[in-house]
Formats: sequence, C-alpha cells, structure tokens
Amino acid sequence: MSKIHGLAGVSLATALACGLATSANAQLLQHKDLSSAIATTIALTAVDACKQAGYNVSVHVVGRNGEVLVGLRHHAAGVNTFENSWKKAYTSRTFRTPSGKFAENVGQNPVAGQLFLANITAARGALPIMIGEETIGAVGVSGAPGGDKDEVCAQAGIDKVKDQLR
Amino acid sequence: MIKITIGTATLALACSLAIGANAQLVTIKQLSLPIAATIGTTAMETCKAQGYNVSVHVIGNMGEVLVALRGDNTGPHTMENSMRKALTSRGTRLPSGEFAENVSKTPNAGALRLGNMIPARGALPIKAGEETIGAVGVSGAPGGDKDEACAKAGVDKVADQLK
Repeated sequence: MSKIHGLAGVSLATALACGLATSANAQLLQHKDLSSAIATTIALTAVDACKQAGYNVSVHVVGRNGEVLVGLRHHAAGVNTFENSWKKAYTSRTFRTPSGKFAENVGQNPVAGQLFLANITAARGALPIMIGEETIGAVGVSGAPGGDKDEVCAQAGIDKVKDQLR
Repeated sequence: MIKITIGTATLALACSLAIGANAQLVTIKQLSLPIAATIGTTAMETCKAQGYNVSVHVIGNMGEVLVALRGDNTGPHTMENSMRKALTSRGTRLPSGEFAENVSKTPNAGALRLGNMIPARGALPIKAGEETIGAVGVSGAPGGDKDEACAKAGVDKVADQLK
C-alpha cells in the first residue's frame, strides 16, 4: 500500500517537474493596452457629452491593472465626484462589467464579499473598455443627477474611439 | 493697570469681530477644466514630440488634482512624481526646481518634511497675474530641465486665458 503511495509521489514529482519545464519555455504575454491618447479622448469626450446634457462631471479612465490613465476634475462638479468616478471605473475594470450591473448583482446581498474590497463601489456610471471579449480598462463618470446619465456619457467616450479598439 | 489692559484687549477683540462681520467674501480666480486639460495635454504632447514619454498633473488652487495623465511607457513613479512636483510648486509659488535649489543649502528645511513636497525640477506655478492659482508638474523626461520645458509649453499655450 505504501509502495503505491510512493509511486504516486514519483508521478506527482515528475508531473511537477514537467510543468516547470514547460513554464521555463513559455513565451512572454502579449496584449494590447490603452494608449494615453485614446484614454484622453475617451475622458474628454465623456466630459463634453455630459456638458452638452447640462451636467458637470468628473471622469477617470483606468487601464488593464486598474491604474489611473486619466483623471479629470470638472471645475463645477461636486467634491466627491473625482473619487467616485475613479472607484466606479476601478469597479467596472475589476468585474469586467458595467458598475451599474455590479451594483444590481450585489443589490440583493448587502454583505457581498466584493463590497469589502478596497475601492469597490456599487454605483452606476462606469463601463468596461473592451477589445472584443477582453477587458483592457474602464471609464467612470460621476456628477450627473443619476448613474444612468453618468453611464450615457461614459458610453459616448467609448463610442468615440471604437474604431481604435481592436 | 491690569484692569485697563483687559479692557483694551476686549475692546480690540470686539472691534476686530465687528470688522469681520462686515468683511466681503473672497473672490478668487480658478482654473477651469478646459484650460487645465489644455495645459496637461500640451505638456505631454510637447515632451512626446521631443521623444520623451511623460506623465503630467495639473492641480488647482488648493492642491486638488484637476488633470492627471499617465504617459505611454512611462515609469510607474511618474504619476506620483508629477503630482508631487506640482504640489510643491503650488505650495511654494515657485518652480519646483527653484525650491530644490533653495533647500539644497538647508537639507533640514522644514518644507521638506511636509506631505508630498519634493525637491525636484519639472513643475511650474500657474499664475493669473501675480497670483498663483495652480501648478503643472511633469515627470518622465531624462532631466528635470526637460520636464520643465514641457510644463512651460503647457502654461504658454493658455497664456492669453490666464488673466
């Protein structure tokens, strides 16, 4: 019996060694990231879209790792909007979903574990930025009277560069 | 004698309060987002045209971030650095490089112990006339002098609007 265990151990060790060998030969990852120019266009377009609708908003665009690419504070927007737009964007990037969808999902469960993670917010107004099925960032908007209105401006930002998102 | 002194102090206090109650609100000029965004993007594009990838921060009168731009292929520290340079410039109302020169002679300068102050060149105050109303900081070029040149290009771009 113990011999069988011993054999199993050898097999496991062999499998592990092979696995490591494979890793050593693995290629580097390649992926597309948002450029500063595209991210800036998304953000400025979102601000303008909301301005056209009569709302002063702050906007954040975050990249693949949730890092801030662009942050814009509107001179007449509320103090909280800068932070809020960033958290919405970070939430959207993290869950690869509109932050409003995330808010709906956790709405029935006020003790959802995700809500205890740093910088996650259950508020509508951010959309993931995608290339096909892959999420490479997010844009978050805050300051309009309602997350649905924030989200429309976020969408306008993404639409503006959709030809470049491939 | 003591009585008289106290009486005088009370009178002085009452007068200053009376003046305070009649004082006007403070009127200040503030950077708008369009102006701040133009400063930020111009600084970044200027450096890019010279072959330098930089991150840029534009901050307002109270040090609040108005515009933050992370450049392509920049070091991760450039966002923090451009913000801290800008804040240093706003706080001292000086180019951050001039602050760096000043404190190089006094390494124990109290100003270096304040949060987010950094003795590094690359930020300039944004002024309306003589009044500092914000600052722009740049980080990522090979040398604070080159960062500063891009910051200056940003401020120059909106010179007509800064009055």
